[in-house]
Amino acid sequence: MIKSEEYGLVLKEEKLEGGRRVLDLFWGPQHPTSGHTRFIVEVDGDVVVNVTPDPGYVHRTMEKLGETRHWIQNIPLFERLSLPDAINVTWAYSTAIERLAKMDVSPRAQYLRVIMAELSRISTHLYDLGLHAIMIGSSTGFMWGFGLRELVVQLWAMVSGSRTTPTWVLPGGVRTAPPDAFYEQTKGFLDYLEKKIDEFVRVVVKNPVGYYRLKEVGYLGREDAARLMATGPGARGSGIDWDARRVYKYGIYDEFEWDVCVEDGGDSLARTMVRICEIRQSARIIRQALDRAPRDGPLVGEAVLHRMPPKQKETANQLIRLGALFTSRLPEGEGLGITEGGRGRYFFHVYGDGSEKPYRVRISTPSWQNLRAMIKAFIGARLMDLPAIYGSFGYFPPEQDR
Amino acid sequence: MTGEKMTLGGVVKATIDALAVAARNFVKPERITVYYPYEKLEYGRLRGWIGLWTEKCTSCMMCARICPTNAIKMYLAPNGKRYPGIDYGRCIMCHFCIDVCPTDALYGTGIKELAWYDYKEMIYTPDMEREPPKIQEPYKSVKVAIKYEGGVPKKIRVHG
Amino acid sequence: MNIWSLLLSPRLWFFILMFAASGGVLLTVVWFERKAAARVQMRVGPYHVSPQLGGYLQLLADAFKFIISEPIVPRGAHKLLFTWSPAIFVTLAFGASLLLPLTPELRLIKDPALLPHGLVFSLVILLLVSISVVVIGWSVNNKFAYIGAAREALLVAAYELPLILSFLAMAILYGTLNPLEIVQKQTLLVGAVLNPIAFLVFVITTAMATARFPFEIADYEGDVATGPYSDYGGIFLVLSFAGGTYYATFSYSFLATLLFLGGWALPGYAPGPWPQDVIGHLILALWVFLKTTVLMFFFAFLRAAMPVLRLDHTLVLGWRGLLVLGFLAVLWSAALRLGGVVP
Repeated sequence: MIKSEEYGLVLKEEKLEGGRRVLDLFWGPQHPTSGHTRFIVEVDGDVVVNVTPDPGYVHRTMEKLGETRHWIQNIPLFERLSLPDAINVTWAYSTAIERLAKMDVSPRAQYLRVIMAELSRISTHLYDLGLHAIMIGSSTGFMWGFGLRELVVQLWAMVSGSRTTPTWVLPGGVRTAPPDAFYEQTKGFLDYLEKKIDEFVRVVVKNPVGYYRLKEVGYLGREDAARLMATGPGARGSGIDWDARRVYKYGIYDEFEWDVCVEDGGDSLARTMVRICEIRQSARIIRQALDRAPRDGPLVGEAVLHRMPPKQKETANQLIRLGALFTSRLPEGEGLGITEGGRGRYFFHVYGDGSEKPYRVRISTPSWQNLRAMIKAFIGARLMDLPAIYGSFGYFPPEQDR
Repeated sequence: MTGEKMTLGGVVKATIDALAVAARNFVKPERITVYYPYEKLEYGRLRGWIGLWTEKCTSCMMCARICPTNAIKMYLAPNGKRYPGIDYGRCIMCHFCIDVCPTDALYGTGIKELAWYDYKEMIYTPDMEREPPKIQEPYKSVKVAIKYEGGVPKKIRVHG
Repeated sequence: MNIWSLLLSPRLWFFILMFAASGGVLLTVVWFERKAAARVQMRVGPYHVSPQLGGYLQLLADAFKFIISEPIVPRGAHKLLFTWSPAIFVTLAFGASLLLPLTPELRLIKDPALLPHGLVFSLVILLLVSISVVVIGWSVNNKFAYIGAAREALLVAAYELPLILSFLAMAILYGTLNPLEIVQKQTLLVGAVLNPIAFLVFVITTAMATARFPFEIADYEGDVATGPYSDYGGIFLVLSFAGGTYYATFSYSFLATLLFLGGWALPGYAPGPWPQDVIGHLILALWVFLKTTVLMFFFAFLRAAMPVLRLDHTLVLGWRGLLVLGFLAVLWSAALRLGGVVP
C-alpha cells in the first residue's frame, strides 16, 4: 500500500563528494519570508552548508530605462528602486545631476533634505526591523514597525502630497516646502518613536527568545565584511566605522551633532542594534535640523532659480515649477552622487552627452552589495537562523535587482 | 548589550519584562487605525486627480513630454488646438505635468479614490478632464487626522 | 427506560456540554487571541463581521470560508494518510478531554473504578497527537513538510518526559489517580500552589506540545512555511492546524484545570445529586470551563509577546531545563508526601 521509496527525505538528498549528503531547499521566490529572490539552500541535517542566490526576479532594467528618458523623468523612476528609502535614492541621483550640471543647492533645501532623508532612514529601518521581527516570529514587532512607519508616511504626505512616492528631491533643491504644522507634528512623532523603539527592544530584542534568535547568529567578521564589501548596518554591525554621511560629508551633516553607530558583534543582534541606534541618532539629527531650518527662502539654488520666469520665481519659496529644469540639458561630462541610505550606500554615476537624456546611469545599491556578505553569514548557520540573518541585513530584492 | 551572556535571572527578568510591556500595551492600546470607508485621513496635501482648464491651455505639449510614464496624449480639438488627456491606467500621480505647465492650465486635486470598471474608462479625454470625477460615498465619512497628545498619537476629527 | 431518564442521562449532558462548550471556548479563545494581539499591536483586529460584538463571529466566517474551499490533494501526497490524518488529529486532540469528568456526575466513564484509567489514557492520547502531526508531514511528501515533521518528532522527545514527570508529580502528591479524589483534595489549596514547579513544567510543555508561541517551531513560517501543514488547505487545514491545535490546547488546559487548578471544586458549594440539581451541576461545569478558558487565554496572549525560539535551544530547554525541573517537581511532591503536608 505504501511505497516507502517514494516518501521520506533520503532519496531527495543529493550526494556530494566525500560521502556527504545534503538536501536542496528552494527558499523563495514564493515563500512567506524570502521576498522576490531565490536561495538554493543546501542543508546537512539542520546546518546550512551552502547557499546559492538566484536573484533577478524583480529586475526592471532601471539603468537602461534611465538612458531612454529625460533626466527629470528618472526621479520618479529611480525612487521606485526602494520606496521605503525614496528620499535617499533620489537625493543620490540629484547629487549626481547637480555635480554634472554644476547646480547649487539652496541653504533651506539642505535642511529640508536632511530632515526628510533622516525620516526616510527611519522609515527604512522601521520597515527592516518590522520584517525582521516577523521573520523571527514576533508579530508584535512587525505591527509596531509598520504602525510607526505609517506615521512616517503621513509626514511625507504632509510635505510632498504622496504617502510612499514623494518624488520630492529635485536637482538643486526640493520640490515643495513643508507646511508649518509639519514641524510640530514631526517633533511629536519623534517623541513617540523613541518611546516605542524602547518597547520594541524590550519585546523583541531583549526578550530572551528573540535575543537568542539573534545572538551569535550569522557571524560576519570584520575582515570578511570589508572583503565582501558589506555596507550599511551589515558593515557597521561588524565593527567597520564607515558611514557615507561622515566620509563624504554630503549635504550639511557636518553641522549637526550625531554619532556613527558601530557594534562589534558581527552577528544579527549587532546589526539589529545598529538599526535601533541609528533610529535614535536620526531622531537627534532631525530635532536639530527642525530647530535650525529656515522657514522661508527659495527651495532651489541660484543655478535653477535664475532660469525660472519671474512669475514662477515668486512662488519658489513654496513650490518649484519644473519648467526651468525641464528645459535644461545635461552637459557633457559625468557626475557622481553618493548617499547613505537606510540599508547602506546608494551610488549613482550619471554620464551626460549634451542631450537631455543621460548617456548612461550606473546604479549601485546596498542590497546587491550586501548579498555576498549575507551568503557568507548564512553558511554554517542553522536552518531556523536563515530568516534571522536575512532580516538582519535588511535585504530588499527590488532594490538589489534594480 | 551585545556580547554579554544572559544569566538565568536575567533571562527570567527579561521574559517578564517583555510580557509586562505587552500587557501594558494590552491594557492601554495605542491604536491608530482609521476605519476607512467611515473615516478618511486628512493629509492636508495630496497629489490626486488632475484637472484641466482648456481655455488656458496653449498646446505647448510640455505636460505630454515630461510625463514619466507617457500617460498624457494630446487630442485634437475642433478648434484646431491640441489638449492633453490623461490615461489614469498609467498615471503615477507625480504631478510633474502640473508643475511644468507654463499657464497653470492643469491643476491638481486631492482626489485619490479613483476606480473604474474598465480600462477604457481610465483614458480621459480633455473634455472629461474638465470636471472632477464623482466620488461614490456609500458611507458618510468623517475626516480624521493623527495628532500627538501627551506623547502618543491620537486620532482626532478635523473639520473642513 | 423512559424518555426522562434518557434525556437526563449524565453522559448525554456531558457530550452536549463538551461539544457545545468547547466550541464556545474555542470561539472565545481565538477571538481573544486576535483581539489581544491587535490591542498590543496598535490595531483593531476582527471588526467587520459583527461590529456590535467586536468581531466575535469572525472565526465562524473564517471556518465557513475554509469549509467551502476546495480540498486539494497534491499529486505526490499519500492520499489515504493525507486525507485521514487531519481527522485523526482532531479526534485525538478532542477525544482526550472526553475521558475526563466535567463534574462529579457529568462524565463519560460511568464506573468510578475506571476513572483513573481515563485520566492516564487522556494524557496518552494527547501525546499521540504529535504522532499524527508527524504522519501529516510524512504524507504530504514535500521537503518543508518533512523537515517540519522531523522537528515535531524531535520536540516530542523533548517535551514528553517532562510532561509525564509533572503528571507523575501530581499523582504522587495526591496519592491517587482518580480525578474525583484529585479535585476533592484541592478544595482548600489548588495543585498549582502545592507544586508550582510541576505547574510551570506543565504549562511550558503544553505550549510546546500545541505549537503555541514561542514554540511554533514545527510549523515555523520563517523557513519551512507552516511545515507539516504547508500543502494543506480548506477543511484539512481547519481540522489540523487552524482548528485541531486549539482543540489540543483545550484538552491540555482541561487536564491542567483538573490537575492544578482545582477543577470544579467550589469551596462551600456542593450540588445535589444529578437529576435533581441540574443547575448546580451546570454551574460547576461553567466554573471548569471558565478556568480552562483563562488558561487558554494565557497561551493565546503569548502570541502578542513572544518571537519563536530556535529548535536547538528548545531541545536544550526540554532536555536540560524542563527535565530537571520535572524531576525536582517529583522530588518536591515526594517530600510533601513524606512530610505529611498533603491534603
